Amino acid sequence: MRSDPSSPKAGFAAEWHEVTVQYPFAKGQAVGPVSLTVQPGERVLLLGPSGSGKSTLLLTLTGLVPNSIPATVSGDIRLFGADVGMRQPWAWAAQVAQYFQDADQTLCGMRVEDEIAFALENRALPPKHIADRVTAAMRRVGVPESWRSCPTSTLSGGERQFVALAATLVQNAPLFVADEPTAHLAPQAADRLHALLTEHDPHRSVLIVDHRLDGLIQHIDRMVVLGRDGSILAEGRPRTVFRAKRDLLASQGVWCPVASALDARLEQAGIAPPVAPLSVDEALAHVDPGTTSGEDVDRAIPAVEAFVAEYTVRSPHTAPDTPILARLVTAECAPFLGPTVLRNIDLAIHQGETLGILGANGAGKSTLGLCLSGLLPLKAGKRIGAPGGCAFQRPENQFTAGTVRDEILDALPKQISTKDKAEHVAGTLAVWGLSGFETRHPFELSQGQKRRLALATLTVSDRWPLLVLDEPMAGLDAHGVSTLMREIQALQGSGHAIAVITHDMDLALRLCPRSIVVGEGGILADGPTEELMRDLALLQRAGLAEPSCARALQWLQRVASC
Amino acid sequence: MVAAGRLMLRALNPLSKLLVCIVGLLASVLVFDARFQMALIVVTGFTLIALNRTSPLLLLVLMVPFCLFGFGFLTTSLLFRQDSDFATRMAGEAFLSSPAVSAGLTLFLRAVACGMISAFFALTTDPGSFVRALMVHARLPPRIGYSLFAAMLLVPDLASEAQQMRIARAMKTGRRIRRVPGPGEIIHLVIPMLAFAIRRAGRTAVALEARGLSPDGPRTVMSAPGFNRSDMIFIVVALGIVTLCGAAVVSDVGLR
Repeated sequence: MRSDPSSPKAGFAAEWHEVTVQYPFAKGQAVGPVSLTVQPGERVLLLGPSGSGKSTLLLTLTGLVPNSIPATVSGDIRLFGADVGMRQPWAWAAQVAQYFQDADQTLCGMRVEDEIAFALENRALPPKHIADRVTAAMRRVGVPESWRSCPTSTLSGGERQFVALAATLVQNAPLFVADEPTAHLAPQAADRLHALLTEHDPHRSVLIVDHRLDGLIQHIDRMVVLGRDGSILAEGRPRTVFRAKRDLLASQGVWCPVASALDARLEQAGIAPPVAPLSVDEALAHVDPGTTSGEDVDRAIPAVEAFVAEYTVRSPHTAPDTPILARLVTAECAPFLGPTVLRNIDLAIHQGETLGILGANGAGKSTLGLCLSGLLPLKAGKRIGAPGGCAFQRPENQFTAGTVRDEILDALPKQISTKDKAEHVAGTLAVWGLSGFETRHPFELSQGQKRRLALATLTVSDRWPLLVLDEPMAGLDAHGVSTLMREIQALQGSGHAIAVITHDMDLALRLCPRSIVVGEGGILADGPTEELMRDLALLQRAGLAEPSCARALQWLQRVASC
Repeated sequence: MVAAGRLMLRALNPLSKLLVCIVGLLASVLVFDARFQMALIVVTGFTLIALNRTSPLLLLVLMVPFCLFGFGFLTTSLLFRQDSDFATRMAGEAFLSSPAVSAGLTLFLRAVACGMISAFFALTTDPGSFVRALMVHARLPPRIGYSLFAAMLLVPDLASEAQQMRIARAMKTGRRIRRVPGPGEIIHLVIPMLAFAIRRAGRTAVALEARGLSPDGPRTVMSAPGFNRSDMIFIVVALGIVTLCGAAVVSDVGLR
């Protein structure tokens, strides 16, 4: 299938024509055949389920695949009219700025100002010119002057992402490519990054892969959706595609903006917005209680209520007399070999409770999670209660065996007989949807499968009544998230206490009846998630944002007050 | 005054310091005299404490491995005369007829002097400036230079990665994580750590290439340290001190 931009085909910023990519030893193609173009000044969003080849496609753009990452590539790839293969990948850096999902893939281990200057140094620009552009890029992204001489290794993950963004924006390249730039960012930071990426500039094209659509999609000119087989499933203006292909995208596990779900409900109620909405405000603009007839508003109310119910807490609240499973008392928490980041922490988690741990990047959420589970010793204070297991932010860090089967076997108690072990392994793999992958290396699994395997190893032995899940949904497609949510709810149902560390406000609202907000070296707030999400001052202070359904909830309150 | 001294030491071109340190190390190897080794230790240590505000305790801790190494020579000299002779003979020194204790002590002090000189370079030099100076003044290829930068970032990441792997293993075995990993645990960590380092190196190579690092061609190196008058003064003064100490020892020996 060929992309169909509205303007003439000549003078494309980027062009793939019938491109296929196959990695060595892989049975099928990672991408394609795909034909796709990006026009000068155009902002294109590339969407698709996990494993559809989005990242691979981006890497073919400057020839990193196959020159630096071995693969077989067929078809024609052109940048600004020239064959990509005519130059080495490094020679395209002046034309293409590439921002990778993980900041460590972009940064090279220097001080902040050196990192930002690196691409310009490679172009042999005059030192004065480089210094001026570095300062301008730091100001534009909001990198504080105090970081200038800091080694990037001393910054938190989110802070490194901003340095990586400054280091890429400073290139001022006519084509900017970003692969899931906000996957690990807190809401306010993600909004800031989206705004920087999508600033309108007629001389700069943007090609972006991102699952987080709210706040981004309004600034996108055209979207292209890859299917599971790596070919183009849909493309066009976001408003058109999200309404016309809504069911198709949902069936493929492709992320849609939250407004798309509200649009569907309003459509069912016979009161669809005249123009397909990209935000909740847009979806409800035509049924404003102050200006619209009461009849239309009345028809919209059940649809909006159903939408809000879908996005609010589904898990039951824990009864106050439920026994405490684990507790931190006046605890001081510090990462491994690091300084104390959290002080005077008093936190209890109850049996069968799902607790949300929210906060900005670098607030100390992961450290708190490890301390709560008892896996990281406290600097001071004490921990009382049952032991906890932790599913890391990167599931790869959890795997120590050579096959999926061995991962599960290693997690089983040694005293179990061989026959029982085999049964346990088969049963666990079936429960977690991993049957058929027994002999695969854990690193060969998709991101969603890796996360499920990590959870399977934690739950196979019933050793851990408390589970801490660190960013469990990062990098997953919509299918992966809904599957994992069901599995987490099932774990909660079986009596496990679960602490979910997340930047996703919608997820916290759906999964966690109670949350804590971490920031400023301690716990800023502890209470019902719905109440915390209504506290705008708190959200602002903690670098968080309202969940997507908040505007719909406010609409319902306005209707009730009229 | 102290702050200015510290600033001065850090502002020196790393290659100036490297030259002085190499001369100091060579002199330590060539002049087999306990007093000379002592002079090197005292002058270097005093410079670090007085000008760089290095904590004496930190210096002592840093010297522990060198002391252990030197202590090996000392005990060998004291306990095994044959080995002592062998050690001194291997050193090719002039004082083959010196008593075993004296030879052992000199070897011990030499190990500490070499450690002190190394500590001087490490504690007063920014690794990034050193790599940049090598790229600009010693024609170190940028690909190797920036690989060194990446390796510097990798070291702390390896430590945190190893810790995560230890936690993962502790979760699987159901045992509490130990403060210091045992030999068995270390053996289990080697292969995964190696795999991590290889994956990371591959990603860094892609990152460097994506941002335009070419194998050849002109490039600007920002913040590269240059040479100025203070470097000249430092080299002259430092080499002067080494020469004076060496000359004093040699003339003293000659008079005897």
